[in-house]
Order: sequence, then structure tokens, then C-alpha cells
Amino acid sequence: MRERMEKALSSSDAEYTEIRIENVTSSWANFRGEDLDNIGSSRTLGGIVRALVKGGWGYATFNDISDLETRVREACESARLVGKEESKFAEVEPVVDEITAHLGKDFREISLSEKKSVIEEYNKIILGYHDKIETSNVGYGDSFRKVWYANSDGAYIEDERPDVGVAISATGRQGDNVQRGFESVAGSAGFQVIEGLQEKAEVAAGRAVDLLSAPPVTGGKYTVIINPRLSGVFAHEAFGHLSESDFVYENERMKKLMVLGKRLGSDILNIIDDGSIRGLRGTHMYDDEGVKTRKNYLIKDGILAGRLHSRETAAKMGEQPTGNARAIGYQHRPIVRMTNTYIDKGAATFEDMIKDVKLGVYALDMVGGQTSMEMFTFSAAYGYMIRDGKIAELVRDVVLTGNVFETLMHIDMVSDTIEWPPVGGGCGKGGQSPLPVGLGGPCVRIQNVVVGGRQQ
Amino acid sequence: MIVNRLIEKAMRKAQGAQVTLGQSESTNVSFEDDKLKSAGVAQSTGMSVKVIVDSKIGSSHTTDIDDVDGVVARALEAAAFGSPAHFEFPGPQQGPDVEIYDDAVVPVTKEEMVRIGEEMMALVKAYRSDILVSTGAGKSVSQSQFANSAGMEHTSETTSFGVGVSGQWIRGTDILLAGHGFGWKKREIDHAAIARKAIELLKMAEKIAPIKSGDMPVIFTPEGVNVLLLALRLGFNGKNVFFGSSPVAGKLGEKIADETFSITDNPLLDYANGSGKYDGEGVPHQVTPLIEDGVARNFLYDLDTAGRAGAKSTGNGMGCGPTNLVIKEGDTPYEEMVKNTREGLLVHNVLGLGQGNPISGEFSVNVQLGYKIENGEVVGRVKDVMLAGNTYDALKEIAAIGDKAEWAGGSLLTPAIKIARLSVVAK
Repeated sequence: MRERMEKALSSSDAEYTEIRIENVTSSWANFRGEDLDNIGSSRTLGGIVRALVKGGWGYATFNDISDLETRVREACESARLVGKEESKFAEVEPVVDEITAHLGKDFREISLSEKKSVIEEYNKIILGYHDKIETSNVGYGDSFRKVWYANSDGAYIEDERPDVGVAISATGRQGDNVQRGFESVAGSAGFQVIEGLQEKAEVAAGRAVDLLSAPPVTGGKYTVIINPRLSGVFAHEAFGHLSESDFVYENERMKKLMVLGKRLGSDILNIIDDGSIRGLRGTHMYDDEGVKTRKNYLIKDGILAGRLHSRETAAKMGEQPTGNARAIGYQHRPIVRMTNTYIDKGAATFEDMIKDVKLGVYALDMVGGQTSMEMFTFSAAYGYMIRDGKIAELVRDVVLTGNVFETLMHIDMVSDTIEWPPVGGGCGKGGQSPLPVGLGGPCVRIQNVVVGGRQQ
Repeated sequence: MIVNRLIEKAMRKAQGAQVTLGQSESTNVSFEDDKLKSAGVAQSTGMSVKVIVDSKIGSSHTTDIDDVDGVVARALEAAAFGSPAHFEFPGPQQGPDVEIYDDAVVPVTKEEMVRIGEEMMALVKAYRSDILVSTGAGKSVSQSQFANSAGMEHTSETTSFGVGVSGQWIRGTDILLAGHGFGWKKREIDHAAIARKAIELLKMAEKIAPIKSGDMPVIFTPEGVNVLLLALRLGFNGKNVFFGSSPVAGKLGEKIADETFSITDNPLLDYANGSGKYDGEGVPHQVTPLIEDGVARNFLYDLDTAGRAGAKSTGNGMGCGPTNLVIKEGDTPYEEMVKNTREGLLVHNVLGLGQGNPISGEFSVNVQLGYKIENGEVVGRVKDVMLAGNTYDALKEIAAIGDKAEWAGGSLLTPAIKIARLSVVAK
């Protein structure tokens, strides 16, 4: 493959050219209610050529990899149409490397029937949990992505990116009231990741039943404590996206808004994106432009300290590439993305955080989050009211929303332990979803958060 | 055809088989932050096989159209312990006529798309030069072949074309983001009108209008109607009905919405994104009323779910999802709807739709682009506002439906809808 890719690259007349080819094998199985709903497998082979001419990008994506020279020519043609100025693209020492994934139990060697029987057991646990359980949805999915990357700087990287996960959902029903309990586990490792999750199935079923009798949270402003799974979503949604430089690099006003050195939170606030932490879902040795991943401080001691870059945004802003150019697959160009994003641990215990809260919400886990520049919203899977310093009743429909700049300032306590729950799901941006990311962190307390819901 | 060869291969071991092959070529041009940024072409192929062996289903997919043996073998492997089949592949049937191919899309060049992008950008820039503009245009041409072991086979060719423009306006820490786009299977799109619509949305948002928390009337623009529709998309999905997770399960024939409200699944609208002669299982497309004059009429089914539920496929395979949704026009001009609102909210776009428990009808969303209405006039954009409610409750409290349906994207045709009361939480 290396020879073919390098030969095609040598035919390019662009200033910079890269080829990424991916072979993905995947399989899935899904139970809905008592029956298996879907089982199957797929094989995908495809690639992308990206070329840079006078600051303009041209690309070609394809499934037919037999004629790479033609694809290079197509990408160069498009780039010439676009390019009108000087190219800026950060220099990186070209790497030649070959990465082999360490799976443990290789899911490619496990039969579809065994994959099916593992989730069948989880499914049975849910359906037998309680007579208010209406139905279930338990899905298994794996993919093994082999990536060949070569660019005109001389880099050549072969990478293996496994991903395996199970999503467990229980639906409870009482009359018109329908509630869901959801648990997921995923990792870039082997089959062992999704074995032995009987307890998760029970937890999901139990929550679906409990939420049936939980009232919706009353809308309003509260002191909110978020658990590690949710603080990961918060770091990602509320702030992380703003630190992606493609929102900033050609936007003078945004640059002013996000100028390094600006105070965004109190001294206790540190937010980090780190694609090099071993074993997390957002982890890679190199990004999709051949740049080594690393630990990047976004906020340090409350001050805006850095941002996430591709080679283009780094060059245009006069900063260093950070290893954050990621593509979801061969049909997509790499864009600036997060890896594993978290708020760094602080000094408080959970007890410290809750004891002086008269009326608040303890929000746990997530069912989603979305952001549009400075506005964000994210949903907890469930929550508890905090009354007079103590955890009180279970509540549902807890949606947190706000303006990131105000909300970061309102973080006043951070707990002393970081957790990385191995949850599934991923991030969407620019039509590329879901990209595996790591979401974790400590417990975080935020003052004056708008919690959506109906007012009473 | 390749698909017949695959059917033949599969039928050596299977009792039923279905094969789909698709190929497409597309071209896109995009402008980011006032500049032409990238152009490219995408070539793709894909082949899917579904087999029934001993009444069990297995499926498999590949992008390698030469891997005929592999893709069949993997589908057969999956079927050995697959899900039980509750249907038989349908025999030859003639689908209704609908336009899905436009010759005029094929010759569109990248240069022409660049010109379209430039013109849209110039229009927005002429309105305010300090707005950062992103635009784009794209087209694609696709072919597909379908065959099953019961003798149903068809080929189709379809085109698509789309344009979009958005503007970003930053003042201090306030970031306004608004835009408009449209895409369908036809070349004919007035890109200048798309840009003018984006400008109108930006103009109305220049001023920020404070709003107080409370229950108030809410008008959803055609785009905004999506907030109400998510629950219906899920609730009328035959699969969710069969599994009992839909709150409208068992309610056919019952009144579930205001009598002015009617919504139809319609895959036979010429050039709409969800249109075509047949669904993905070779079943002829049909028009299916979901709610008629407030009364729940039909759910959407694919073959397997219909088999399980003792219903008939409505041509919504695979997956029982809608094709194009059409909401019946009412009798209130949009202007009048706004004029008759003393204090309320006009909602165009939201964040966080689908989070939480959407199938129950509950929504609790951040208003990404919405406007305050005061004494019958739009006075400015709202900020940091949550809108909450339940679709099924809201549909019973419809105050007015607009008299003119508009496309919101390429697969929803709807007028604006005014709900008498929804909960608004402001900072």
C-alpha cells in the first residue's frame, strides 16, 4: 500500500497532498423487546485525497481504490479552482510509524452468535426486571478500522483503531407516562469491554421504573452539581467546542473574544484536552494529519491558555499544531475536533460541595448535549433535588442550558477525583458524527444554572 | 444486472433474498468565513444483501462491488442465528409516478457553484459587511438497482441539488448565528431568495429583546415546526407502536390533536428529498395520512414490522420512518398570526432537540434563534431562553395554522403554527 500511495502522491502538483485509505470491518446485533431486531456485518474500503493549492483545499473521496493517481488529479484540480492566496500550513516532522492495536479478546474472531448471546442475556435481565418494563433496546456494535496515511511531507502511518460497545436501554411505562433508563459501555479495545455488564442492565431497568414515579424538575435557576459523566459533557459541549480553532482562525471578532490570557473562570478551573491518555475512546497516537497527539491546556487557573488546532489553523494563528485534526472516516476531511476533554480535579469532597446548598439539583449522566457558539444545552439522564444540604427526591427531564462565559465564571467547586466512565456515543460536528471522544472528569458545582422544564 | 447475480448466488442456500446496489457521484463547493475554502468530488458505491434462511433474517453490506461472494456469505452467516422473519419479499408491483431526476442538475459545474456561493455571499455582505458569511452548494447524481427473489426489480436514477448560506455576527460576547438553506432533487433553486431569507432572519435579530419567564403563545416558523414534529416522527413509527413505547399506540381513531391539524406522509411529491417510486424494500410508495382533522389515522410500517403487528406495509421500509411530511394549511395569514400576539415567542431554530425523552412528546430546548413578539410585532431576538412543553398537549392547543405551506428543508412542507401556550424559561 505504501508504494502505491507514495507513487500517487508523487504525481501531485499541489503544495501539499495527503492520502488516507481505510478498511473497516464491523458487525452489529440489536434486540428490541424479546426479539432480535437486526444482525449483520459490513466491510468498507475507501479513501480520500486532499490537496492544498494557494490556500485552497480540493478533495476527492472514493470507494474504488484502484486508480489513486486519478483521485489525486481530481483533488488537485479542485484545489486550483479554490486557491487564490498564500497557503499556510504548519510544518511537522514527518513520521513513519506502524501502530498495532492491543485488543485482548479480538472481536473479529468472535462469532456473531456469541456477540448475540452476550446482549441477549442483558436484554433478558431488563425484560424480567419489573412488570412496568414495557420494552427494551439492547445493541452491540464493533468496528475495526485500519488506516493507511501518507502525505507529501514523507509521513507514512499505519494505524489500527478498534471500537466496541454495547448500548442498553430500558423503557418503562405507566399509562401515557413513558420513561427510559440508559447505560452504555464502549472502548477502543477488545470484546472483554462489553462482557459482564449484567449490573448495568439492572441499573438501566431500575432507572426506567423509578423515573415513572419521579416528577419533572421545576424549571428555574439552581445551584447544580454535575457528576463525572456530565462534567465531561459540560467540558466538551459548553467550552470545548469554542476552543476549536476553526471557529476562530479567520474570524477577527472571535479572536478578540477568545484571546489567550483572558480570564474565563475562577482560579480553581482547569480544562484540558488530551488525546494521548492511554485507553480512552478519544485517544490516538497521531491525528489524521500525521501530528502526534498531546496534553493541551485550554483553561489554566481560570485563564484561557490554549486551543485546539489543525495544521492550517495553527499556522494561520501562529501557534503550534496540537494533534486535533480528526476525521470520522474516509468520506470526510479532517477538521478540528476534541479528543478526551475534561475539567481537572480540584480539592473539594462531594460532602463539601453539597452541605451548604439549600435548594439545588444534583444532575447525573447524560443523554445528549449540543452547542451553538456561546450557547449550550445538555441533558442529564436523571437528577435529584438537593434540599438543605442533602440529596432529596429523584427528578426527571433535567436539561441544563446557558451561556458558556457566564457559566464558567459560576463554577465554584471541583471535586478531588477524576473518573473516566467508559461510555459510548460520540460527538457530532460539520456533518461528521459520531466521532468517539472521551468524556469524564470530577464532580463540579455551578451556581445559577438555568434548568429547563415547566414552571409551576 | 449485478443484483440478479447476487440473488442467484444467495438463493442457493436461502429461501428469500433482496439485494440493493447504489452508486453516486457528488460535487460540493464551500465558502467559510467570507472565503472560498474547498471544493471536491465524492464517488461512492455500496451493496447490501438481506437473506431469509429457515425463516431467519441476515444482512450484510459492502462498498466493494466485486466482493459478490463475500457479501452473500456474510449475510448467510448472520441469518443462521438471525432475527425471525415476519414477512415475505414482495413480488413485482408497479410504483406510482413521481419525479426524482432532473437533467439540469447533471451539467452543473464547480465554477457555477462557486458563482452561486459568491452571489449569496455578496447579498449578505451588502446588508451588513461585518457579518462573517459561510455558504455552499452541492449536487449529486445516483443510480440504484434493486431486486428480490420474488421477482421484484427496479432501477432508478436520482439527482439532488442544494445551497445554503449562514451569517455570523459578533458583538462583544454576543454571537448571532442565522442562516437558510434548501436542497431537493431539482436544479431549480432561487439562491438569491435563499440569501434574502437568511438576511431577513439576521435583520429581525439585530436587536436583543428581553423576555420574562412564563407561559405564553408561541409561533413556530416552518423550520421551527420541527420542534413539534420529532415526537410524531417517533410516535407514528410502527416499530415504536408495536413495542408499546409510542404514546399513540392503540389510539387510531381517537382525537389526539386540534381538529385543524392534519399531517400526511407523502413520498409522491415531485423532487422532494424523501420521494421515490418504491421504498427500500421494493414496496410501492403511497400517501399515508397520520393525523386527519385531529384524529390519529395510520402508523408507518415496513414489511417486517407490519408482519409482526398484523398490519400492511405502508412503504416506509426499512425502519418505519417518514418520507416527506406535509402539514395541511390553515386559514390564518402568518402576518395576522404575529399581529394577534400581544406577548409571545417566535421560534425558528432550537438546540438540544431529541435530548431527554422525545418519544413521550416532552421537549425542553434552548431557543437558538427565536424572537420576542410584543403587541403584534417582532421586536428582536431572545437570548438564553428555554422552551418546554409536550407535543401532544401542544397539538391540542393550536391557536392558528398559517395559510401558506413552505418547504423547511427538502422533506417537510408546512405552514407556521401558533400554539396558545407553552412554558418559556428565561434568565
